[in-house]
Amino acid sequence: MLSGVGFLAVVPVSAWSPLALTGLLAGLLCLDETAAVQSWLSQPLPAALLTGLVWGRPDVGLALGVPLQMALVGNLPVGQSFVADAVTATIAVTAAACRIPLAGLGLPVPGVPVDLALWGWLLLGAGLLSMLGHWVIQAERAAFGLWMHEGRSSLIDGDPGRLEHLHLRCLAVSFLRGSSLSLVAMLLVQGLWWPGFAHLGAPVHRGLGLMPFLLPGLGLGALAERYGWRRCGPWVLGGAGLALLFCRVVGP
Amino acid sequence: MKREPGLSFALRWSMFLRLLLLQASWNPQRMQNLGLLYCLLAWLRRQRTDTDFRRHFFRRYYEFFNTNPYLAGFLAGGLARLEADRRRGAAIPRQMLRTYRDSLGRTFASLGDQLFWLGLKPALTLIACLLALRGSSLAALALFVVFGVCQLGLRWWSLGVGFGSGMEIPGILAHPLWHAAIRVIKRTALVAMGLAGGVFAARYQCLGGGSRLAVFGMGIALGLLTPLALRRRLPGEIMLLIGFAVCLGLGFAISPAGG
Repeated sequence: MLSGVGFLAVVPVSAWSPLALTGLLAGLLCLDETAAVQSWLSQPLPAALLTGLVWGRPDVGLALGVPLQMALVGNLPVGQSFVADAVTATIAVTAAACRIPLAGLGLPVPGVPVDLALWGWLLLGAGLLSMLGHWVIQAERAAFGLWMHEGRSSLIDGDPGRLEHLHLRCLAVSFLRGSSLSLVAMLLVQGLWWPGFAHLGAPVHRGLGLMPFLLPGLGLGALAERYGWRRCGPWVLGGAGLALLFCRVVGP
Repeated sequence: MKREPGLSFALRWSMFLRLLLLQASWNPQRMQNLGLLYCLLAWLRRQRTDTDFRRHFFRRYYEFFNTNPYLAGFLAGGLARLEADRRRGAAIPRQMLRTYRDSLGRTFASLGDQLFWLGLKPALTLIACLLALRGSSLAALALFVVFGVCQLGLRWWSLGVGFGSGMEIPGILAHPLWHAAIRVIKRTALVAMGLAGGVFAARYQCLGGGSRLAVFGMGIALGLLTPLALRRRLPGEIMLLIGFAVCLGLGFAISPAGG
């Protein structure tokens, strides 16, 4: 399936423009994650939303971005040894979901049917892709370490140009890594992960349908644990009380 | 703020742009060393130096360095100032530069972790999720844009303050505003957590009655208790897989009629 014309056939010619924009967006957001600026536009929610906007489906971006953002809200780069690649995963899965195109994928609202199992399947795919990205990022950083040693020559000849060149080379590599991996992952989701959904049994579908409701709680629980539940409980409970009051007055 | 004659607009702009790329060559061995050097090269490029000076300069900054990228402007500005003073003949030993860089780097890293990663990031992302849930997706996006602009302003300002302060940066660090800001932002994050929990709970109650709310509650319990049971924190992606395993178990346990 992933060879020759059959693989390319999943990309119709009319889709090249948003495809190029997705690659560009993925490259820029991968830079934003660590290498440059760090504006947090690379967080799952804005990344999914921007990808959805590129493909003209912001609703799909929201549907995938909100649960992913909530699930990963406790991922804080403080003393962290595992560095996942949520940017690439979010963009790839959102772009694939926009391209398929899927009906019944959006944040659930009363009266509108949502394919919960497919939603959970895509979220699971994003999680797995993000985990796989860990090893790619580790390899990239190992390469940066080697290049940093290459810069030692400037400590002998005093050439600042070499150091600048090395630094910018790392920047370019991160951009290309984000850009290319997002597109490859998008094709994998479209060509392998999504078709695989049809072959799952009914109990797995039922389980996947619960995922979108479990993930926000999972993230909130992990964050509460990090803050120390007992010490911070009153503030959290106060916020929850405010929210319930607000929902009672305005509606959920 | 006292504007030092050495920090021209062109130098500040060049350092600012380079500072945005502080972590571009982040590596496990020496972390941001090349990034800091890349930023300080903006100053060095404006000096008439010989090879020997540059070699010593590179050696000083090729060592391990790590700090918080949002607050690195204080340190980069301060180091440029000390280098400029040293060049003008001030008696600043090399060891003092090293101590200044390392000790302030660690302090700003700790402050930045508390302020940005453990405070502002959860607060901002949770509020953005709430806005997105209410259908204000552009407002959610705008929130990140506003943060992006504000942090750029902070980096620009801190560069000037760092250069203006030089050796006096520890005085800035001693200001009680830092701790007050950390306290306020962390409490905002906690309230946002509660708000998010309440809104999601009300929404699930409205959408699917008790079963979806129960799954949401199960998620909270799982997120809270798994690190306590394993005595280590797991990344969100691994928690997601654990959540999938739990959902799969539930999928097999519940009957289609009762599901």
